[in-house]
Amino acid sequence: MRLMKFIQLFTFIAVYFFSVTACANQPSNEKVDNFTLPDYNGSEHSLSDYRDSEAIVIMFIATECPVSNAYNSRMESIYSEYSKKGVAFVGINSNKAESVERIKEHAEENGLTFTILKDDNNVVADEMDASVTPEVYVVNSEFEILYHGRIDNSRDQEDVTSEDLEIALNEILEGKPVSNSSTKAFGCTIKRVQ
Amino acid sequence: MNFVFQKWKINCLVALLLAIIVCDIHSQSGSSIDVKMIKTSDLELIVEEAKGSALFINVWATWCAPCREEFPELVKLSEEYKSEMKFIGISADEVEDIDEKVIPFLEKQNAQFQNYLIKVSDPEDFINALNKDWSGALPATFIYNKAGTQVKMLIGKQSYEQFEQAIKKVIN
Repeated sequence: MRLMKFIQLFTFIAVYFFSVTACANQPSNEKVDNFTLPDYNGSEHSLSDYRDSEAIVIMFIATECPVSNAYNSRMESIYSEYSKKGVAFVGINSNKAESVERIKEHAEENGLTFTILKDDNNVVADEMDASVTPEVYVVNSEFEILYHGRIDNSRDQEDVTSEDLEIALNEILEGKPVSNSSTKAFGCTIKRVQ
Repeated sequence: MNFVFQKWKINCLVALLLAIIVCDIHSQSGSSIDVKMIKTSDLELIVEEAKGSALFINVWATWCAPCREEFPELVKLSEEYKSEMKFIGISADEVEDIDEKVIPFLEKQNAQFQNYLIKVSDPEDFINALNKDWSGALPATFIYNKAGTQVKMLIGKQSYEQFEQAIKKVIN
């Protein structure tokens, strides 16, 4: 009788811990809605265009934010490396004061070759609850959020000790759950229309 | 004798004027602005020490344009409400920018409240310690009541009126 109770208790604890661990490694089930926005040349892009990718990286960026600008070369380098591995990249500029012309000029000045979309009236930023630049979302083909947060843990590239976005992408490409799916760093507020 | 006394008076006057000029230059050079380094664990102590008074914490950086724009309003409010509320500024600038950027900016603004600069290797814990719902977007202001409970988080540039409205809610 005692043995049965012990087995029942052990099974309960084992199932509980297995479930908790499994849940922690699954996508949050928070999803991003499909959207369609124009790039700086006027061509429209929908999130659904990238459904066949291994993952989609959505980066909220800015032309005048020193933090976002500190990441220009890092963003381009990550794009260059991971686009070869089947990951799609989309930059979004939701700042009300940053025009399409300025976004194009800024991309050319800084050698940003990934697609950059203009989110007029910050509609997509509002839908995704994005508040800062740079801010990254990585979603799967079902648009479930696998990773949300920073590119890495330091504005100064020399002080980086945790390349969070790259760690998340590597884990996704290896078919593993993302070990740290939510991170934070200081950045510039996305300037919205009132 | 009278001549000696007159000369002594003139010397005293010149010395006094020199002292006033030197003092003025010294204060203009910002020696009154003190910026202390803080780490995440210091936040709890700051809030604890302020208990009994309402507390206003503004997190800003010299690289953040809206932070610089709202700063004069903070300085005005910190003077106006200094008897009712404790004001604290926390800079998210790099440690190496303290002498060339942070202190000169605070001097120019005449920010006479307590100023700190965050010295952490990873900002995430600091952000979460102030508020788990805060993304890290600057500027950010956190208002605490007299019991040390955070009652308001304001993200992005605020106007004098927006700040004042939040302040009045905790001091009344």
